This record gives sequence, C-alpha cells and structure tokens, in this order.
Amino acid sequence: MSTLRETAGYLPGLQAAEVAWQTLAFEAQGRRLEVAVPCLTEAQAIALLARVRAASRAYLKSLTLAQIVSTLDKAIARLLDPADPWRQKADTLLPLVTGYDAEMVRLGLTGYLKTFRGPQLQRFLVEDFGNPLLLDGFAPRAKGGFSKAFGADVAVHVWAGNVPGLCLWSLISGLLVKSGTVGKVASAEPLMAGWMAQLLVEVDPQLADCLAVVWWKGGDTAQEKVFFGHADLVLAYGGNTALAQVRQQVPVSTRFLPYGHKLSFGLVANTALDVRKATRAAQQAAHDVMRYDQQGCYSPHVFYVARGGKISPDEFSRYLAHELSALEKKYPRRALSLADAADLAGWRQTQEWQGLSGDSGAMDVAGDGAWTVVYNNTLQPLAPGALNRTVRVVAVDQLADVIPLLEGHRAFLQTVGVAAAPRELFELAEQLGRAGVTRICALGQMTSPEAGWHHDGRFSLLDLVQMVDIESSAEAAADTLAPYVD
Amino acid sequence: MASSPLIAELHAFLAADRPTDEAFNQLALSLFAHQYQHNLPFQRFCQQRGRTLRTVTSWRDIPAVPISAFKALTLSCIPAADAERTFMTSGTTQKEVKGKHHHPTLAVYDDSMLRNFRQRFMQGSDRKIRMGILFPDEALLPNSSLAHYLALALRTFGAPGSHYLLNEAGLDHTRLHAELAHAQQSGEPYALLGASYSFVHMLDELQRLGKSFVLPPGSRVLDTGGFKGQSRELSMDAFYTQLAGALGLGREHCINMYGMTELSTQFYDAGNATLPSVKSGPHWIRTCVVEPLSGEELPRGEQGVLAHCDLANFNSVTTILTEDVGVAVEGGFLLLGRAQGSAAKGCSLAVEEFLQAAAA
Repeated sequence: MSTLRETAGYLPGLQAAEVAWQTLAFEAQGRRLEVAVPCLTEAQAIALLARVRAASRAYLKSLTLAQIVSTLDKAIARLLDPADPWRQKADTLLPLVTGYDAEMVRLGLTGYLKTFRGPQLQRFLVEDFGNPLLLDGFAPRAKGGFSKAFGADVAVHVWAGNVPGLCLWSLISGLLVKSGTVGKVASAEPLMAGWMAQLLVEVDPQLADCLAVVWWKGGDTAQEKVFFGHADLVLAYGGNTALAQVRQQVPVSTRFLPYGHKLSFGLVANTALDVRKATRAAQQAAHDVMRYDQQGCYSPHVFYVARGGKISPDEFSRYLAHELSALEKKYPRRALSLADAADLAGWRQTQEWQGLSGDSGAMDVAGDGAWTVVYNNTLQPLAPGALNRTVRVVAVDQLADVIPLLEGHRAFLQTVGVAAAPRELFELAEQLGRAGVTRICALGQMTSPEAGWHHDGRFSLLDLVQMVDIESSAEAAADTLAPYVD
Repeated sequence: MASSPLIAELHAFLAADRPTDEAFNQLALSLFAHQYQHNLPFQRFCQQRGRTLRTVTSWRDIPAVPISAFKALTLSCIPAADAERTFMTSGTTQKEVKGKHHHPTLAVYDDSMLRNFRQRFMQGSDRKIRMGILFPDEALLPNSSLAHYLALALRTFGAPGSHYLLNEAGLDHTRLHAELAHAQQSGEPYALLGASYSFVHMLDELQRLGKSFVLPPGSRVLDTGGFKGQSRELSMDAFYTQLAGALGLGREHCINMYGMTELSTQFYDAGNATLPSVKSGPHWIRTCVVEPLSGEELPRGEQGVLAHCDLANFNSVTTILTEDVGVAVEGGFLLLGRAQGSAAKGCSLAVEEFLQAAAA
C-alpha cells in the first residue's frame, strides 16, 4: 500500500519545527494518507491569535469589499481550474480522506466552488446587506443617519464534518465581513481549509497574517478555553452534544453561533407521478441521496410520496431503488468502517423485523449493503435513517399529511426537496415554514444550495457583523459645529 | 414436547467425546429444519435471504439472526407462554424493548452450562469449591440468564458456606470482606463469581479501606459482562491487575466468561495473564467472524462481527449474529469490544442524536 503524506493547517508566524505534530491516518481505495495536524502550546496559540488580531485590524479592515471579492474570485478560479496544483491536490486527497468516490467529490466540489465566484459573492452580499457598501464605510440609511457593518477582529470557527470543503463557506463569509479568521479543522477532513488559506495568501500575500488554520482534538477544553477566550465571535458546527460542550467554553460576553446537525426530507406530489416525470423525480431523489453518502445537513432521509398519481408510491420506491443501484455503479458508496457497517446492518435489520412482524403495515426493504430503500405503505414518523444511502419512502394520501409529523422537530428541520405544481408548492411552503423548515428546493438540488441562501434560515453574513449607527441627531449636531456654520 | 427425540439427540451430542464435524453438521441441519418448520418469523427471515431447507446444506449456510430480532420477534418453536423459563436481556432504560429467549425446558441449557463450566472453571474436577456470588439471585432476577447460570454454578459446584454477596441493597461489603478473610485464614480455595462491574465496586471499596487479601492457592475469579456504561469504566488491563492485586491471585486465575441471553452456551478464556485473551467454547458451539452487512465469513485474521452457531439453542435459532467485534485466532477468537458506529461525521442528523432529543 502506497503512503502519501500531507500537512494540515496554516500557522502564520510559526515554523514547522517549533510546533508539535500529531498524525491522523486515512485509508481508502487501497491507499494510505498520513496527515500531520498541529498541536499548539498555549503560548503559541495566544501569539497566533494576537497576530491574526493585529493583521485583521491593520490590513483586512483597510481593504475594500471589491478588493476582497476580487481576491476570493481569483482563488476560487484557481480551484475551479482542473490543472491547478491546489485543485489537483484536492481531487487526489479529499477522496482518500473522506472515502467518497473520487468522481463524486470532483463534481461536488466544482458545483460548490461555483457558488463562490465573484458574481455569486456579490449576490450573497446584496442578499444580506442590501447595500454592501455598509461594509466599506458609513452608508446612508433610508430611516436617516448612517450605518457601517464591522466584522469581528478575530472570529474562531470550529468546523465539523467530512463533507469536503464545508468549511469554505464559513471561511469565505468571515473574509467578506473583514473578520480575522482562526479556524479549527475537523479530524474527519483536516485539509481543505489549510489549502484555501495558503491559496489566498498566494493570491494576496498581505493576507498572510489575517488567517490561521489550527487543530485540536474535539473536546480538549484547555485548548478551547484559550482560543475562545481570545475570540470576538465563535462559530461552531456539530452535533448538539458537541455544541453544548463548546458553548460551555465560550465566555458569556462572546457571541456564539452554533450550527447543529439537521434533518432533511423530500415531498413528491401525485402531479409528478406519471411514467416520464416519476422516472425523472426518482433520478433526482437518488442523486440527493447519493451525494456525499447522505452526510450533509441537506441530505434527505425520507421521501413522502402522494398516492393518486399514475405511478404509485410503491412503484416510485422501486424506481428510486433502481436509480440508487445505477448510481452505485457510477459513484460507489465509500467503504464503511466495521462500526459504521454494523450500525447500518442494525438499522436495516430493524426495518426487516418490522416488515416480518407486520407492526408497521405493509413494507418492503430493498437493496444490498451499498444502498437501502425501505418502503412503508402507512404513515411513518419523520426520523433519520442510517445514512450512507439508506432512505425511506412513505406513501401518503396527500402531502399535507406530513405537516403534523414535523411537530416537535423544529430545531432539526432544514431542507425539503419538493416536486409539486406551483400552487401546491406555495401552499406547502407556507406550512413547512411554520413548522420550522428553512429551505425548499427542487429534487436533485437538495445538496447544492444556491448562492445567497439563508443557511438554517439565518443571515450568513449579517449574523457575523456588528452594526454601528450614526444617528441623524449626531449628524445634525455635527452640522452646528462645522467650521462653515453660519 | 414435539421435539423430545431431538432433545435426546442433543443431550447425547453434548455428552459425546470429540464428535466429528459431520455429526455437528447433521445435528445443526436437523435443528435448522425443526426451527424453520416451527417458527414462522424465522422461516420468513430465511426466505427473505433466499435460504430454505433445500439450499441450506451445511451449518455455515444457516442464516445468522441478528440479536436485535430477539427484541422484535418471537423466536420460538413453541408458544412463548408455554416456556418453562424466558430469559430477557437487560435494558438500560425502562422503555427499552427487551430481547426474549424462550426455553421450553431448562434441561438443555443446564446440561450445556454444567458440562462446560465443569471443564473450564472447575478445571475438569467434581471437587466443590466455596463460592461467593457477586450478583443477585434468581428470586430477585427471575428473567436473568446470568442469575440462573450463577445459581446453577453455586448449587452444583458450591461447597458448604457458599453465599450470595449481593442483595437488594447492593454489594454486601462487610460479608464479602469476612468471606475473603475466612478464605485467607482457612487455606481453603475460594471462588468469586459475578458481573464485572460488581468487581469494580468491590475494588473501589477495598481501595478506599486500603485492604487487600491473599487467597489460598486454587482460588479463582470469574467475571462476565464487562463494565462499559456501568460504575466507572476501567481498561481491561487495569481491571485484572487490580483484581489480582487485591485478592492475591495470579491474573491467570482470573477467568472471563462471555455469554449472552440469546445463547445457551458460554465461552471462557484460560485466564487473563495477557490481553486480549483467547475465548473458546465447547464442541457444540462454533463461531464465525463475518462482515456485518453481507454476513459473509471473513478470512482468518480479519476483524469482523461474531456469529455463533450454538446447538444448545434448540428452540430459538441455532445461529445468531452478535454486535461484538472479534477476530478468529488459533484455538478460538479474540473479543475486541462492541461494534458501535462513530455516528455521523458530517452534519446530517444521526439516529442516536435524534433519539436523545426526542427523549429529552
């Protein structure tokens, strides 16, 4: 087995030899990758945070938004170029780290990166600020007076997840609001953020001290205290247990933005269920399931399918099974660890017992180890599956029957992929929104949120800034003190 | 009972001296046919996997039933209400569904337990030993297979003066210490048997009091069940070192039993001088290491999930798929812990977290 080596992180002001390193090993597709991750001492961490703070104040805050967007656009263009060394590194190593099919990673990454090109970033900015000039200087407000949006001097980001590049969104958002960024990479995908930081510094060398990418073992409270204690803002991604633990280490006066794990699902109306449309819908649904083996917050766990179309929900589940089986050949599911395989087997078996005992009405379990479609003929509560391409299809009389099932799960709801006619789409959207769903999209697009989306219903950029108002009274009072006052 | 000739055959097989592979195979197939015919959920399970009486031609072809099935289905060839005894798995919460193992008669379970226990813990001898049991008795836990197992051990092999040292109030430390002191003075070998976590409580108390004992030669310990999620968690190595130190025994005299409610036969090691110790069972149980999703047997040396074919499981299913990770080695297998998923590494909600939130 060939072994590749890579170093994670980006540590301005620190020489590699001064830092202690730990090795994380990954194995996939018959190759081994050893990633060295940095373990900083408290003094090193404090110095690093101070360095980022100083550079953030001195340089980042002096840049115009146009300059930052241009830098990001250049960096993203490099990553979109298949011949660029950084992109080649990503295409080679991310499949090894995450275990995902290489082609799936390549396609997913390109689609994702496209949402961060210059025009798309402009859209993000307008979406949140209306007038993005608020980030460059005091801009006039309709109500009177002026306002400016200030990004934190230092924001610490705690990234999670093995969806490749997930951290980029948070990293880029921080830069757009001119915030110094110290990001902690997840052990499950420690590489992408460090590469992005180095690439940005290649594009604009003066950014060198404005960013840092670090690592510590999740739950290391001593490290967390140091980093969070020196941050103006802490963003964290992860499960509720991990988030609760992180929150405890954040000083009370520091703003904390938690992004928890989410549960997404799909709705298929009977209008989408004639032979041709149902095939298409099943293809799109299968794509959403296949992408990143359902590890994303936007990945569907259940499809509720309405009765009354030419194609029955049962038939739709077979279509979906067929598509997943085809996708398995094109983009094979990653190899599972023994523990993950045992979990998945356990979940499948539980479904099979329910089928055998007849407790849950008529049902069927299809698929081999690589994918599973469970079909239920009776209404089933919304619940996560075992991930790794396990999906449930539930027959419903009408899609509105799903709404009561969402009760109590508000905190977990995110994306709903909908295939329905316009009138039904908007009727459902109203009810889904009331229940806590924050994103409604087409089937096939569940894993590709559009540029400018409101992540978990929030303002991705606006939440990161502090607004400073010059009220009209100050302006009026200043006028009385002007040297040219009459 | 419909299957009494089968039971007679089974007793004879248990008593046999080194029966052939073919004899094992034949009996396994007879039991499979019996269970396939008399247990409808099992029959449907087999059919779902494309296994029928015709396609199963070796004990290895018998589909391994995941232990979760003991919770969801009634796996019994007789009506559950007719069972002499039903053992249940110990759930950690009130709401948890318990796995049930129905025994039309305990004669087979007892025969299997006693033959094996005599061989592995009593060192093949019929000489009784004074015992202390660190587990509740059968009256307190009528559905616990371990309570029955220990009661059987005490009744059959316990010398006069053998006692239960755990009651409703918990471990009776005073009496336990008195027993250990008595053994130390009398020079008569002593055996302590019980759940691993009870031994942890014992060790904590002895440590608190700064007490230790030197048990006479021939003394030994039997622990079972491990201690994950119980009292404090301890590494296996630290556990056996402390246990041996507190009782003045060699670690080779600390024997671990691996058993499950879903089986009628237990596995033992030959002491825990080195870890992980090799576990093995008697000639009427066989173990395969399989890939959990496909159920395919893995090549020797590869880690997988353990599947056991226990001929003493005549009424439920002979072959079960556990959630224990192990690896096959010369003379048996190594038990490497429970297969527990690392949950989701991404940001998709995992079942575990969802359930926690639902319970909150």
